[in-house]
Amino acid sequence: MNPHALTRRCLSAAAALTLSAGALAVAAPGAAAQENDVDTLMIATNQEVDTFNPFKRRFTITYETSMMTYETLVRIGADGYEPVPGLATEWTESEDGLTWTFTIREGSTWSDGEPLTAQDAAYTYNLLIENQAIHDWNIDFAANLVSAEAPDDTTFVLTLAEPAPAEVLYREVYIVPEHVWSTYPDPSADDANRLPLVGSGPFQVTEYETDEFIRLEANEDYWDGAPGFDEVVYDYYVETDAAVAALEAGEVDIVGSGMQGGLNPAQIGALESQGHVTTNDAQGRRYVSLTLNHGTVTQDGTEFGDGHPALKDPVVRTAMHTAIDKQALVDTVLDGSGTPATSLIPSIFEQWHWDGGGELVEFDIDAANRMLDDAGYARGDDGIRTMPGGGEPLRFRFYHHADNTAYATVVEFVTEWWAELGLDIEAEAIEQGTLNDLAYLGEFDIAFSGWGVGPNPTEQLGMHTCAVLPTLTDGSERSSENSYCNPEYDALHEQQKVESDPAARAELVKRQQQLLYEDAPVIWLYYQNVLEAYNHDTVTDMRTQPAEGGMITGQQGFTWSYYTARPSNTEEDGGAPVWVWVAVAAAVVVAAAGAIVFAMRRKQTADERE
Amino acid sequence: MIDGSTTAGGSSAEDPPAGRPGGPRRGSRHGRVSSGFGWYLFKHAGGAAVSLLLVLFSSFFIFRLIAGDPIDQLTKERPVSPEQREAMRAELGLDRPMWQQFWDYIAGTLTLDLGESFQYRRPIFDLIVERLPATLLLSGTGMVLAVALGFWIGTRSGWKQGSRFDKGQVATGLLLYSAPTFWLGMIVILVFARFLGIFPVNGMRSPSTPPDFWSQAVDIGHHLVLPVLTYTAVVYAGYLMIMRSSILDEIGSDYLTTARAKGLRDDEVRRRHAVPNALLPTVTLVFLALGSVVNGSIVTEAVFSWPGLGSLFVQSIFYPDRPVLQALFVLFSSSTILAVLCAEILYWFIDPRIRRS
Repeated sequence: MNPHALTRRCLSAAAALTLSAGALAVAAPGAAAQENDVDTLMIATNQEVDTFNPFKRRFTITYETSMMTYETLVRIGADGYEPVPGLATEWTESEDGLTWTFTIREGSTWSDGEPLTAQDAAYTYNLLIENQAIHDWNIDFAANLVSAEAPDDTTFVLTLAEPAPAEVLYREVYIVPEHVWSTYPDPSADDANRLPLVGSGPFQVTEYETDEFIRLEANEDYWDGAPGFDEVVYDYYVETDAAVAALEAGEVDIVGSGMQGGLNPAQIGALESQGHVTTNDAQGRRYVSLTLNHGTVTQDGTEFGDGHPALKDPVVRTAMHTAIDKQALVDTVLDGSGTPATSLIPSIFEQWHWDGGGELVEFDIDAANRMLDDAGYARGDDGIRTMPGGGEPLRFRFYHHADNTAYATVVEFVTEWWAELGLDIEAEAIEQGTLNDLAYLGEFDIAFSGWGVGPNPTEQLGMHTCAVLPTLTDGSERSSENSYCNPEYDALHEQQKVESDPAARAELVKRQQQLLYEDAPVIWLYYQNVLEAYNHDTVTDMRTQPAEGGMITGQQGFTWSYYTARPSNTEEDGGAPVWVWVAVAAAVVVAAAGAIVFAMRRKQTADERE
Repeated sequence: MIDGSTTAGGSSAEDPPAGRPGGPRRGSRHGRVSSGFGWYLFKHAGGAAVSLLLVLFSSFFIFRLIAGDPIDQLTKERPVSPEQREAMRAELGLDRPMWQQFWDYIAGTLTLDLGESFQYRRPIFDLIVERLPATLLLSGTGMVLAVALGFWIGTRSGWKQGSRFDKGQVATGLLLYSAPTFWLGMIVILVFARFLGIFPVNGMRSPSTPPDFWSQAVDIGHHLVLPVLTYTAVVYAGYLMIMRSSILDEIGSDYLTTARAKGLRDDEVRRRHAVPNALLPTVTLVFLALGSVVNGSIVTEAVFSWPGLGSLFVQSIFYPDRPVLQALFVLFSSSTILAVLCAEILYWFIDPRIRRS
């Protein structure tokens, strides 16, 4: 074959490919249309699946698939994150708080048709007690369990070493089927990933293609009624902008916190102009805060790190707090999609949130300046304050995450306000891993932090107790958020853990938050909203959590939204009928064939002319 | 290495493959493959082996320069007790001494036991094998189209240098060549998927497609169009420029004048005489392109959420999933090194001057 013929063949191949691409453009939707009798709820995601094993999962995506596939004894409600009946219809706590008795719902079945009984609940809790890997993985809860028994098919009894009412009610222990799991040689290993999963929830994972999609099929025999959709599919998008385009094009139904980082105000703005899209600016569970290095210290009192000495003074910290206009940050940085923060628990958890009770620090730069003047931090010739009695200037390193543009804007505002206090701020954008390393080594003055808070605030509150201070100074123990240690706070923390009365517990939790607020080891800036959007032409009736201004994606304890979602029948199908596609495809194929024939004839005549 | 266009750039017009002279003219095709070949092969294979070793070693250390504790990533936004951290550390083998981790890595890589991914919790070898076909399909198709298109336009451009066609094609090609792949991909999505709605936005197939072969094939083809379009648009200019300059090298040659003197039409002269000679120097280029088929479409894959090695790499960077990054770095680098080696061996056979030296 001479090179010339080779080129020609390449060209013909390229032409054929191009033409067949055209044919595909019209043929494929027709082919797919045949399958349209299944109602599918499409959710955009970019999160990896770590494991479908509900005891070892760490990621949000597998949290959601666990919530849909399996169920807990007690659900977390959609109205206000309150405990509501799940697989258990009722429960009682003994006087001493050590024995819990649950009544298991009768008539519920596993997705393979087997009946679900109290034996399954006992089997599941016994995995936490006896299976070493599962026990270790859930040590904070499992260590407190003594025994789990099922005296009959509808009664389940859990015995604890110490009272822990909130943990028992809020801890998400997904009940797994004993008749399936007992066949696994090691339930903590990958056997639990075998598809289809057998569960008792509204949808079960049946198919998973890495980074392509996760399919969950509806459990038609679900005890609370079959879900509105036949299946839920998580579809993978690497880039959020592509997911937004897919929502606009009608290829995906919901875009929200399934995409890590979520939607930004600009994307929401673009989606708002779409006729078929509803946007939801929901309250969020996440706070953004500034950690002030008031002195990092180990359990035995060894100080480490190199924080600025001025930050040990509560007056300085309060003055800095007073010089931050949180509302302005919400308005400018978040475009209004957030709430100014008070303390650790976001306002979405109305029950636990401390609203300040009229004693909040008001933004007042003059007042802040007076505080510093009175405390003896005099200004030097350059306007920068120094430590009382002269000496070290108040020059603070301010570290923010390099990948977060919102933080960078916050830094600009805050730096300006603090400059008016006579503080010299050196802001530096740092890659997140390095920032964490420095923060836990205590080698910083001010650093950004942010956490999502759960319906049970114990874990988050626990990060500020003396018990989690590191024992080493090498920064490897990372359980204490900021070396805060206050015996009064710790006493309240122990009390709230064992308090069964929600109202009494709320008082304790609020008092804890107030202490944190007044001591100001951390300045809470704002609670960030969740921005999400869905196609209301295809999906409707999604229940939000909480009921007022709540979210659709990122729900806790039970996926109320996906369970209640129904296809909205506002239009037939959205696309052209199949025959149109077939006709167009045929036309394209004919045109392609014509073009090829023409090209070949031309070649022939060319050959003849030689 | 990150961008398709950069990869092609490494071997494109401005930067012809190092040390490659303008290409053989009428060299004897029957040049004796002497014992010189043994030495030539040894020299180049040795060089490649040294490069591979360096890649192998450096890959281990480069990704350890990414600061931070992997456990922080695994437990993001969720408080964990020190005991839990220790348990995870042990499970991931992070509690072992550095030299032991290094040894495990080297021995593992050589035996293709690449370890387990932090984020997927699966053997990396399986992940790579699973994703390789998707990448080969996208980059392979894109590469064939880019080479064909580039050579076809390049030939005509060079032949009519300075014409309106030439200027227009070179300008268009270079414009696309310099466009950021990410940006171009988003534009393509907006036009074809969002507004025209004739192609899907993401992925390689749609979850609702029936499992039979033909439905799947049509669906994959449907999803393939936009990424291939983007990829081809970005890289074809490299081949266009090479082919164009190669034609320009030939255009004043005596044998073309002879051919014309024989009364051949201009078209024939180009196709039968100029192109075959101009193609020779581009052979290595094509070979080098094969090396980048594995890693050439990282950004394109990310934009279109194409489930190949490129988007695996991007996901792993964000994570950061160190063992996956290590393995992919070695894979990408070694495929390029091996392609270069193949090109060098090939050159022995097609360029007589190398045999003579």
